[in-house]
Amino acid sequence: MTLLELNNVSVHYGRIQAIKDMSFTVEEGEIVSLIGANGAGKTTTMKTISGLLNPSSGSIRFAGEDITKMKAHIRVVQGISQAPEGRGIFPGMTVMENLDMGAYGRKDRSGMAADIDRVFDLFPRLLERQKQLGGTMSGGEQQMLAIGRALMSNPKLLLLDEPSMGLAPQFIRQIFKIITEINSQGTTVLLVEQNANQALARAHRAFVLETGEITHSGTGKELLANPAIKEAYLGVG
Amino acid sequence: MLPSLLASMPMDNDWISFDVPSLIENFWSATFDGLTFGSIYALVALGYTLVYGVLNLINFAHSEVFIMGCFGVWFTLSALNFGPSAPHLGFWAIVGNLILALVVGMIVSALTAVIVERVAYRPLRRRNAPRLAFLITAIGVSFSIQYLLYLWRGPSPERALTMFHPTPIFDVFGTIIDSQQIVIVVAAVIMMIVIDLFISRSRTGRGIRAVAQDPDTATLMGVNKERIIMTTFIIGGILAGAAALFYTMKIPSGVQYNGGFILGIKAFAAAVLGGIGNVRGALVGGLLLGLIGNYGQILLGNSQWTDVVAFLVLVLVLILRPQGVLGSSLGRSKA
Repeated sequence: MTLLELNNVSVHYGRIQAIKDMSFTVEEGEIVSLIGANGAGKTTTMKTISGLLNPSSGSIRFAGEDITKMKAHIRVVQGISQAPEGRGIFPGMTVMENLDMGAYGRKDRSGMAADIDRVFDLFPRLLERQKQLGGTMSGGEQQMLAIGRALMSNPKLLLLDEPSMGLAPQFIRQIFKIITEINSQGTTVLLVEQNANQALARAHRAFVLETGEITHSGTGKELLANPAIKEAYLGVG
Repeated sequence: MLPSLLASMPMDNDWISFDVPSLIENFWSATFDGLTFGSIYALVALGYTLVYGVLNLINFAHSEVFIMGCFGVWFTLSALNFGPSAPHLGFWAIVGNLILALVVGMIVSALTAVIVERVAYRPLRRRNAPRLAFLITAIGVSFSIQYLLYLWRGPSPERALTMFHPTPIFDVFGTIIDSQQIVIVVAAVIMMIVIDLFISRSRTGRGIRAVAQDPDTATLMGVNKERIIMTTFIIGGILAGAAALFYTMKIPSGVQYNGGFILGIKAFAAAVLGGIGNVRGALVGGLLLGLIGNYGQILLGNSQWTDVVAFLVLVLVLILRPQGVLGSSLGRSKA
C-alpha cells in the first residue's frame, strides 16, 4: 500500500523555486532514501512533507488522505513524525522531557509507556541519561534522542533529516543499524542523506535529488552500482 | 513672592544630598513598601517576559493591557459603591467584592491582550514581517489604546477608590506592616509560584517552553504554536489584571488613561533586570527594582529620585551582567 505520495509538488522561498514538480511515493514498510548535495532541496522536501512549508503547487497524500493543506501539528497526530536537521533537541529540557515532547499530541498513557520502553530498548544510553539536559549531550547521543523522540508519537512514517550529520564513523554505522531495526519493527522510514553510501545500502528504494528535481531513482543497490552516482556521491571514480 | 519662591528651591550646591540617618531610621518601612511595589512590578513583568520568551517580541502594549485591567477594577468597584472612603462593609463582604473586581480586572486585561495579539501581531506573523515591524506595531498599539482611553475618559484620573483601610498586623523592628502590604505581597507571590509550577510541570507549560526554545521543532512534536502564543498572552493578561487590582489598592487615584505607561516601563525594566524570558527573574527583578527605588528615594530625600536610582542601578547591573540577574531563558527546566 502507498503510504506517502507527492504529486508534482513545487515549493518556493519567495521567488526562488526550491522544489520543481517533484513526484514520488513511499510504500508502507519501506526505507526510502533521498540523497543529494547541499542545497539540492532535501530538507525543503522533508519540511514540506511534515508541513512546516507549504507547496506552491501540487498535492501530498498520506495513508490515502489529501494532507496538502493540513497543519503541521495535526500531521504528527496523523502519523508523520520528523527528526529535524540538526536534531532540534530542546537544550534546556532533560532527556525525559524531550521524549515527553515527542508524545505531546497523545493521550493514550499505556501506548506512551509502551513506546518509551521501545525507545529505551533501541537506545539504552537514553535510559541512563534520562535526567541529563539535552543540550549537554554529545552529538551522537543527541541524534539518538532526536530519533527516539520522533518515535514517541508512534508514527506510521518516520522522517529523518541527515541523521549522520556531524557524527563519528562508528556512530554513523550504529545509527543506520538502528534505523533498519526500527523499520523491521514496522515503521516506514523516509531518509534524507549526504552520506550516500550508508543511505543507499540500507534503503529499499532511493532517489537522487539535484537542484530541486529527482534525477535518478531505483533500488538502493541499483543506485549504489550506478557509475554516475558513484562518481558524484560516493567519492569513487 | 519671588524671594520666598527662591528660598523654597534647592540651592545650586545642595540639589543632591544624602540623608543616611533617614534611610537607617526608615529602612524597614522602605523595605516593606518596596516589596509591595516590587510585587506589582513583578506581576506585570511576567507578561513582558512570557511574550518575549515565545515571540522574541517586547510587547509594548502590555502597559495598556495593565491599565485596561485597572479600568475594569475601577468600574467594578464603583458599581459596588466603593468611593474615596472605604465602605462600611463586613470583612467577608469586602473580600467578596475585591475578588469580583480581581476577576473582572483579569478578564478585561486578558481580553485586551488577546485582541492585541489577534489584531496587531498575528497578521504580521502570517506575513513573516521583520522584527522592526513588530516593534513599531507594539508601540503604535500602546499609544492607540492610551488615546482611545483619553477620548473616552478624558485626561484626569478617575475618582479615587479606597478598598479598605490598612490595619496594622505585625510590628517588625518597630515598623508596622499593614494588612494592605501583606495582601499584595502574599497574593502576588502565590500567583508567581502557581505560574512557575504551571510552566515547569504542566503539558501546556512544556509546550510554552518548547516554542520558546525552538518553534519549528515544537511544531514537529505536535504543538499548536498559535494556540501556545495565545495562551501566553492570556496568562500575561491575567497577571496584569491581578496587578491592576493591587495597584489601584496602593495608588487609589492611579486609574488614568496614561497610568500604565510608567509602570509598564518599570515592569519591563524589572523583567530585563531579572533576565528577560525568565519567570523567576521577573519576580527577582520586580522586587529588586521596588526596593532600590524606595531606598534611593529616602536616601536622597525626594520621590523624584525613585526612578533615577532604580534605572541607574538597572544600567549598572546590565553592564556587569548583561543577561540579567538570573539569566534569560524561558526554555530551562527550572524556568
